[in-house]
Amino acid sequence: MSSTTMTAPARAAVLRHRAVRKLLLLAAVAAVLVPLADARWGSGSWPHALTVSLDGPLKSTSTWIIDNRDSHWLFLYFFGHISGAIITAIHAVYVVLLALGWAGVTAGAALLAWRAAGVRAAVTALLSFAVCGALGMWVPTMRTLALMIVAVAASVAVGALLGLAAGLSDRVFRGLRPVLDTMQALPAFAYLLPVVLVFGIGVAPAVLATVVYAAPPMARLTALGLRGTDPGVLEAVDSLGATARQRLLTARLPLARRELLLGVNQTIMMALSMAVIASVIGADGLGDRVYQALSTVDVGSALAAGIPIVLLAIVFDRTTAGTRQGRTPPRSAWAVLAAATAVVAVAGRLLGSQSWPDGWTVAIAAPVNTAKDWMVDHLYSGLPGIGGTADWAAHYTGWVLDPLRSGLQGLPWWAALLIVAALAWLIGTWRTALTAVLSLALIGVLGRWDASMDTLSQVLAAVAVTLVLGFAVAVAAARSPRVERLLRPVLDVCQTMPQFVYLIPVVALFGVGRAPGAAAAIVYALPAVVRIVSQGLRQVNPGALESARSLGATGGQQLRQVQFPLARPELLLAVNQAVVLVLSVVIIAGLVGGGALGYDVVFGLAQGDLATGLVAGVAIACLGLMLDRVTQPTKGVRDGNA
Amino acid sequence: MATDGPQPTDRVSDGALAAADAPSGPPVFAVRNLWKVFGPKATRIPGTELAELSPEALREQTGCTVAVRDVSFDVRPGECFVVMGLSGSGKSTLVRCLTRLIEPTSGAIAIDGEDVRGMDKSALRNLRRHRAAMVFQHFGLLPHRTVLDNVAYGLEIQGVGKAERRARAAEMVEKVGLAGMEGRRPSQLSGGQQQRVGLARALAADPEVLLFDEPFSALDPLIRRDMQEEVVRLNREEGRTMVFITHDLSEALRVGHRIALMRGGRVVQCGTPEEIVGSPADDYVRDFVRDVPREQVLSVRRAMRPLGDAHEAESGPALHPATTVAEAIETVARTGGPARVVEGERCLGVVDFKSLLRVVAGLGTGGRTEEKAAA
Repeated sequence: MSSTTMTAPARAAVLRHRAVRKLLLLAAVAAVLVPLADARWGSGSWPHALTVSLDGPLKSTSTWIIDNRDSHWLFLYFFGHISGAIITAIHAVYVVLLALGWAGVTAGAALLAWRAAGVRAAVTALLSFAVCGALGMWVPTMRTLALMIVAVAASVAVGALLGLAAGLSDRVFRGLRPVLDTMQALPAFAYLLPVVLVFGIGVAPAVLATVVYAAPPMARLTALGLRGTDPGVLEAVDSLGATARQRLLTARLPLARRELLLGVNQTIMMALSMAVIASVIGADGLGDRVYQALSTVDVGSALAAGIPIVLLAIVFDRTTAGTRQGRTPPRSAWAVLAAATAVVAVAGRLLGSQSWPDGWTVAIAAPVNTAKDWMVDHLYSGLPGIGGTADWAAHYTGWVLDPLRSGLQGLPWWAALLIVAALAWLIGTWRTALTAVLSLALIGVLGRWDASMDTLSQVLAAVAVTLVLGFAVAVAAARSPRVERLLRPVLDVCQTMPQFVYLIPVVALFGVGRAPGAAAAIVYALPAVVRIVSQGLRQVNPGALESARSLGATGGQQLRQVQFPLARPELLLAVNQAVVLVLSVVIIAGLVGGGALGYDVVFGLAQGDLATGLVAGVAIACLGLMLDRVTQPTKGVRDGNA
Repeated sequence: MATDGPQPTDRVSDGALAAADAPSGPPVFAVRNLWKVFGPKATRIPGTELAELSPEALREQTGCTVAVRDVSFDVRPGECFVVMGLSGSGKSTLVRCLTRLIEPTSGAIAIDGEDVRGMDKSALRNLRRHRAAMVFQHFGLLPHRTVLDNVAYGLEIQGVGKAERRARAAEMVEKVGLAGMEGRRPSQLSGGQQQRVGLARALAADPEVLLFDEPFSALDPLIRRDMQEEVVRLNREEGRTMVFITHDLSEALRVGHRIALMRGGRVVQCGTPEEIVGSPADDYVRDFVRDVPREQVLSVRRAMRPLGDAHEAESGPALHPATTVAEAIETVARTGGPARVVEGERCLGVVDFKSLLRVVAGLGTGGRTEEKAAA
C-alpha cells in the first residue's frame, strides 16, 4: 500500500501507530547502514572479514585444562572436590538402591507415591518399576535413578536458595530474573559443553549440567511464590508483631507451598530430561542405552530403554504433581513407610537376588526390530496413493527444508539482521531487538552462520507445522469439552516425556536425517502449544463471549473477533514456546542425522574436539536467545500500553 | 438556659480537639500533627506551601500524594473512636500509622504517653504484640491453618507455649461464637465467621487497644449488624478501647462514642455522633449526614427548650438528657403533654411536640436557632 493513495488524515493516523513508527525508524537506519555495509563487506553469507576464529584459543584452553586437571590447585581443591562429592553421593545412593533390591525399591516407590499422591500414583509406580525390570532394564534404571536423586536434590537446594534470595530481595529478583528467563529459553545441548570443558566426560559433569538446567524453574517458582503472598495476610502478620524470621517461616513459606511443590515437580521433570541427554557426556543408565542404540539405528534396543524413561517420567510426575493439598501427613507416617520398605527389602533379599530376576525379563528388542524391518519394507515407500513415510520425509526435506535453507543461507546477512530487528522490535522493546540482533551477529562473528541458518530453516519449518496443527487442535479442544476430555490425558503424558525419547519412534518411522528431527520436534512441541492455546481460548472473559453471542455472532465470528484478540497474550506465548521447544529438539536431532549445529556439538564431543563443540554450543545459545527474543512479548510493552 | 449542661462543640478546627464529653483519664493514643505523604522525598511536603497545592498539582510537581494531612486527636480509655470517610480519604493509612504498619512522615504519636515514632524495632514489636491488635477488612487469616491455630497465631508469635496458647485461643473462639469450628480452615468459613476469627485473633493477645480497619465492609448487611453489636458489646462490657475505621455512616453512629470525619487526609470534624449530626461543621459534613434519621441520634438535650414557667418544672414525665428524640416522641405522644429533661435533681428544660418535631424536620433545635435553619 503506498502512502500516496491515502488521504491526509489516514496517513497521519498510520504515522501515529507505534508499529509503523518503529518500522519507519528502522528503515531509515537501514537505508544509511545497509549500503555502507554492502559496499564494505558485500552481501550474501556472513562476511569473512567480520568473523573471529576462536578455535585456536579454545583449543589451547582445553589443552591447558586437560594438562593441568591433575595438578593445578583450581582443579585439585575446587572442581576436584565438587566432582568427587558428586561421584561419592551417586555411589552412595546407588549402593542404597542395590541394597534395597528390586523388591525394596519397587515397594518403597509405591509406598512413597501412595503417601504423597494417593492410590493411583502408587499403582502407577508399582507397575512402572515392574515393567522396567521386565524389560531387562533394572540396572540402568537404578543408575539413572541414583543420578536423578542426587541431581534433583542439588537442583532443588540450589534453586530454593536462589529463589529465597530473589523472593526476599527486590534487587536480587531484578538481577536474577532475566538470567533465569534466558536459561529457560536455551536448548539443553548448550549446557553440555562448558561443563565438559572443565570436568571432562563423566558422571559428575552430567550431574552438574543437569543441575544447571533443572535449578532455574525451582528458583523462579520459589521467588514467585514468595512474592505472590497475599499482602493482606502479611500485613496482618506484621500487625501481630512477627519478626522477619517468623514472617518467613509461618506465613510466606507455607503460603508459597503450591509454587514450591510445582517447582519441585518441574525441576524433577527437567532433571530427568537432562539426565537422559547427558548420556552424551558420560552419564550412564537409560539415556546411555538409548544413545548407543540410536547411533546404530537399533530401534528395538532404543525402545526397550526408552520405555523405562517414559515410565520414570510418569511416576515422577504423578507422585509430585498430585501431592495432596492441605493436611500434612503426620511424621509417624514416614516412619511406617520406611519400615515397610525395609521389611519388603529384607524379604526380597531372603527370597532371591538383589537385581531383577533374569527369568522374569522379556526381550522386546528383537521383535521390535522385526516389526521395524517389516515397516521399512512395507510402509517406507510405495504405498498406493499416499506414498510412504520415507517418501514423506524425502518430500518434506526436498520441498520444504532445502528451499528454506538455501533461501536463508542466500539471504544477505544484513537482511537477516534487519528482519530479526524488525520482528523483535515490533513485538517487544528496542532492548529485546538489540539482544536479538546482537545474538544473531555473534553467530556470524563466531563463523557459524551457515550451520545456524541450516538449523534455523529446520526450526522455522517445524514451528510452522506445529502452529498450524496446534491451533487447529486447540480450537477444537476449546470448543468441545469432549475433545478436551479426550485430549487431556494424552497431553499430560506427552508433556512429561523427555525430549530424547521422541527420537526413538521417529527414527523407526522416518529413518535418519533432518525430517525425523522435525517430526520429533513437532510432536514434542505440539502438546504445549495445544495446551496453552486452548487454555487461553477457554479463559477468555465469559462476559465478553456472552455479549458477542447475544449480538448474534456465529461461532467463527466469536473465535475471530472475541476469543483470538482477547487470548492474544496466550497465543504469543504459544508461539514463543513452540519456537523454544522445537529448537531444543532440532538441536538434539543432531544425534540422528539432523546435521547443523546439533551435529557440531555431538561431533565435538565424539572427537574430543571441544573447540568446535563449544563454539557450536555458543551459537546454539545465541540462536535460542534470538528466537526467544523475537517471539517474546515483553512485560514492559504490555505495561507501557496499558 | 441550662448553663452547666455540656456545650457541644459545634466546630472543630483542624488539629484542635473536641471538648471532652466526659474525659476519663489520660488518652490511650495521642496523635499530634500527623502527616503521611507517599512519594519521593516525602518529608519536604508537610507544613510547607507545597502541602497547600491541590492533589493533582502536587502529584504533577513532586510525584507525591498526601494521604494524611496534619491530623491530631486523642483516643480515651474505654472509648470507641471512629474514623470515618469515603475511600481515599486517608482513614486506613491513618490507622496503620498508629502502630507504624505504615511509617508516618511527620508528627507525633504517643501510646500511654510513650512516643511510638521513637520506638526501636523490638519496642515496636512489643507494642504490636501486646498493646494494639488489628482487625482487617480482608481478614488476613492464614489459609493453611485451622481456626484454632489462626487465633493462637498471635500468641505463637509472642512465644507462648503450645498448650497455653491453644487453651487461650479456644477460649477466644468460644467468646466470638465459633465453638465447634476450631478444626476448620478459613476457606471453609463464611465471611462473617472469618471475621470472627480475625476478631478472636486480635483479642487473644488481650491488647489494650483494638484497631479495626473497615472490618465489616466485606460482609452482608445482616451479618454486619451482628458483628457491630458484637463490637459494641465488647466495648461496653469489657471497656476495651477501640479505634474503628469505616466508610459507613450508620455503622459509625452505631458503634462510635466519638467520630472523626476525614476528607482528603484532613479531619473535617471530630465529635460525638450527636455533634456530627446535629451541628455539621461544614457543607461536606452536612451533606454526609443528610439522610441520617436525626431523631434516633440526637438527644433531648438538643431538642429541649428552656423552662417556660415554674409550673413546667413540676409536672410531666421526666427524661434523662441522653434520651433520644425518638424515645421522647414516644413518651410525649403517650402522655399528650410536654416532658421534662431532668439530670439528677435539676430540671434542665422541657421538650414538647413542637421542639421534637423541629428536630425531625431538621430545623433548628430547641430554643436555639442555628444559622442552618435559616439556610
